[in-house]
Formats: sequence, structure tokens, C-alpha cells
Amino acid sequence: MIRFEKVTKMLGGKRVLDALDMEIRKGETFVIVGTSGAGKSVTLKHMVRLLSPDSGRVVVDGEVVSELSGGELERIRDRFGYLFQSGALLQWLSVGDNVGLPLREKTDMSDEEIDQLSHEKLALVGLADVFEKRPDDLSGGMRKRAALARAIITKPDIILYDEPTSGLDPVTSRAIDRLIDDMRRELGVTSVVVTHDLHSALAIGTRIGMLYQGRLVEVAEPDAFVKSKVKVVQDFLEAQYITKHGSWERMVAK
Amino acid sequence: MLGEAFLFLPHMLKKRMRHETLYQLFLTGIKSLGVITVVAMFTGMILALQTGLELRRFGQEVNIGTAVTVVMMREMGPFMTALIIAASVGSAIAAQLGTMTVSEEIAALEIMSINPVRFLVMPRLVALSVMVPILTVYTNILGVVGGAIVGYTQLGVSLTAYFDNATRYAENKDLYVGLFKAFLFGIIITLVACHQGFSTTEGAVGVGRATRRTVIISFLTILVVGYIVTRLFYK
Repeated sequence: MIRFEKVTKMLGGKRVLDALDMEIRKGETFVIVGTSGAGKSVTLKHMVRLLSPDSGRVVVDGEVVSELSGGELERIRDRFGYLFQSGALLQWLSVGDNVGLPLREKTDMSDEEIDQLSHEKLALVGLADVFEKRPDDLSGGMRKRAALARAIITKPDIILYDEPTSGLDPVTSRAIDRLIDDMRRELGVTSVVVTHDLHSALAIGTRIGMLYQGRLVEVAEPDAFVKSKVKVVQDFLEAQYITKHGSWERMVAK
Repeated sequence: MLGEAFLFLPHMLKKRMRHETLYQLFLTGIKSLGVITVVAMFTGMILALQTGLELRRFGQEVNIGTAVTVVMMREMGPFMTALIIAASVGSAIAAQLGTMTVSEEIAALEIMSINPVRFLVMPRLVALSVMVPILTVYTNILGVVGGAIVGYTQLGVSLTAYFDNATRYAENKDLYVGLFKAFLFGIIITLVACHQGFSTTEGAVGVGRATRRTVIISFLTILVVGYIVTRLFYK
């Protein structure tokens, strides 16, 4: 469904992605883990052409994203929902107006229909009573959930999550994990999650890829991932107190 | 950016865009009125005092009405208005869009296929290109009134003589050229501010830099464009 073919990207004189090859399958939750600065967010931004590769191609369902022109790019982007690390809600709009914004700007739906749908999506992410509030009035976790409501209101096929649990307490993090998992189970969306939180990755991922020095050094299902023999993967696991003996299963509720 | 913005002009008829444009008109116009009032009044008073004192040496102080009115309409009205709007509204636009850029709100709009030029630039462009000329007319009127007060209280020029002189020698062309300049200045301020805002990097430091650059670049561009327009119309 989404394929990276030898994608290389230089930023600030540093090779962030180095001939990256990666494939994400329809309907799965693919989690990209790695240390800070490993290129996880850069990888995500290539999928919707917020960044373009210096060489190589990003292909979404047979279409080369970096070669698309205005209208074609818009059509591809309409298939994506994107949850930014900060939520990226517009500060001067109410939460409800933020959630309904894509529909208000791109469809002929009436205000009443849009408000109704916005209420539904906010309720789906557990924020039924914040419609009139401003983003500044919400906590970090609530802002991310509101942003998720905005990301799903257009019923995208693919949702990209950029560090969805960073800066959140463990309880809120697990609530976000459950929401991501629900998106796959109930709405059937393909999800790509970028995180350095391995507990989260193991809980929600159908496959996990470890990005290191601009390349995927391991791609495996969660139980195989924790048993990986790749040294940087083992170091990364141990740094988060996860061992190949399966202690993560006790630590994370699937 | 300007060409792209004009392509989106029909979108201005949409309800949300109309609301946003009205809000920007309010921000630009009403919120700037206080400072513009003070600056315009004192600009006219200083002009009247300086020219009046010189003209009095030749017994011509009665002509300050013409001097103040012509200078306000041709140059000082649009120029002072544009400087105030660049420093207050232009810097605010750059700071807002800069903050939106570094907090990924602009990227979020792009992914939602909402064109930031249509969504953010157009309402501001329309508001400033309409409101700067309107505020210029207001500045001109207050400047002329300020000059009349100084002429009457300090130079002994009667109000009748002042306004008779002011209306006799000032031409429609002076007003139209001044308003044309104001229109161009409104566009310049918006484009500079939006460009700086969208180009912001490096967080809060970058927002500060974008704001400062907006004011400096707008001031310099206004000066140069002001001279070019004057040169074109007054040979």
C-alpha cells in the first residue's frame, strides 16, 4: 500500500534517510521506532509530501507521491489523516470548529451536519463535552484526542501518528493506544505510528520497524521483534526495560 | 503568492471567508484607530508648524493649508498609515503565521488539502488592501485638521483662510495617487508578513526574527515603492 524505494533525504547536511526501503500493508498498524533524530518523523512526512526525497520514490497504491501535481496530490492527501505530535489544532477556533474544519472547507455539507459529525467524532475519542472550548483550555492528551477526531472526520484510509503518546502520562498514553487500536479494528484503517515508546509500539503494532541511521534495521511482529538478534534493537529494548524473555507481555495490556 | 491569492478571490464569497475577512478588517481598522489618530494629528501639526514658521518669514503663512493638505494627501498620509499598520498589524500577522508554522498548524492545513494562501493570506490581503486606503483618508483628514489647529492657535491663520487655501490648490490627483500608494502598501505589508510567517523556522527565536524582518522589510519596501509611484505620477 505504501512503499519506500531507496529513499534518501539530507537535512542540514545530515543524511537522515539513507536509501530507505520499507513497505506498509493495507489494514495493518505499522510502528516505526527509533531514537530521537533517527528520521522517524521525516519518514512520515514523506508519505504526504510535506517533504520530498532527494532520491528514491515513495509510492502510495501505485502512485509516486513526489511526482504528483496539485490536484492529484490533494486526492492522495485526502486519503490520509495525520496526527501531529503537538496536535496542531488552530488556536483561534473552538475544538468543535477544528474537528469540523476539513468538512467545512472541502464539502458542501451544512453547518448543522458538520457540527453533528464533529460531536460524534469527539464522543468517539472520549471528548463529548469540549466542543465549545478552545484548544488552549485542553490538556496535552485531550488536544491529541481532539486532533485525532479531526484526523478521522473525513474517514481516511490511512492515519499517520507522529509520537502520539509523547509527553503524556502512562494512563493517558494507554488510552491513546487503545484509540489507535480501535481505529484499526473498528474502522479498518491502515495506521503508521512513529514513536520511541516501545510499550506503546508493542501494544498496538501489528509490525514494528526499527529505524537506525536512516535505514530499517529490523521489521517484525511484536513477539518476534522483542527477540530480535540485531544489537541496536536489543539495546533499544533494554533501555526501556523490555527483555526477550517476554516481560513486555506483563507490562502492556494488549 | 500574490498571483495564487488572486486566483482564490471567488472563495471570498464563502460565508466563513466573509466572516474571517470582516474580522481582519476589524483588527486592521478599528484596533489601529487610536494610534493612527495620535500620529496623524501630530504629523499635521508638525508639518504646519515647520512650514508655517518658514513661510512667515516671507509673510506667506496663510499658505500652510495648501502645504499641509498636499503633503498629507500625496506622501505623509499613506506613508504614516502604512508604517503604523506594518509595525502593528504586519508584525502581528508574521507572529501569528510564524507560530502556526513552527507548531505545524500550517502543515496540518496542507495535509487537509486546505490551501494556506486561500485560508490565511486571502482574508488578510483583502482586509489590508481595503483598510489601508480607508485609514489613509482618515489620516489625511486628521492631519489637515491638526495643521488647522496649529495654524489658528500659533500662526494666526484663520480657519476660513486655511481651508480655503487647502481646497483651492490640492487636486483630485493628489488624493487618488495617495490612495493608490496606500493600496499598494497594504498589499506589500500582507505579502511580506505572510511570507516571513510561512518561512519561520527555529521556534520562538524564529518567530521573533520573522516579526522583526517583517517590520524592516515592509518599511524599506514602502519607502522605495512610495518613491517609484511618486516618480511615475509627478514628473
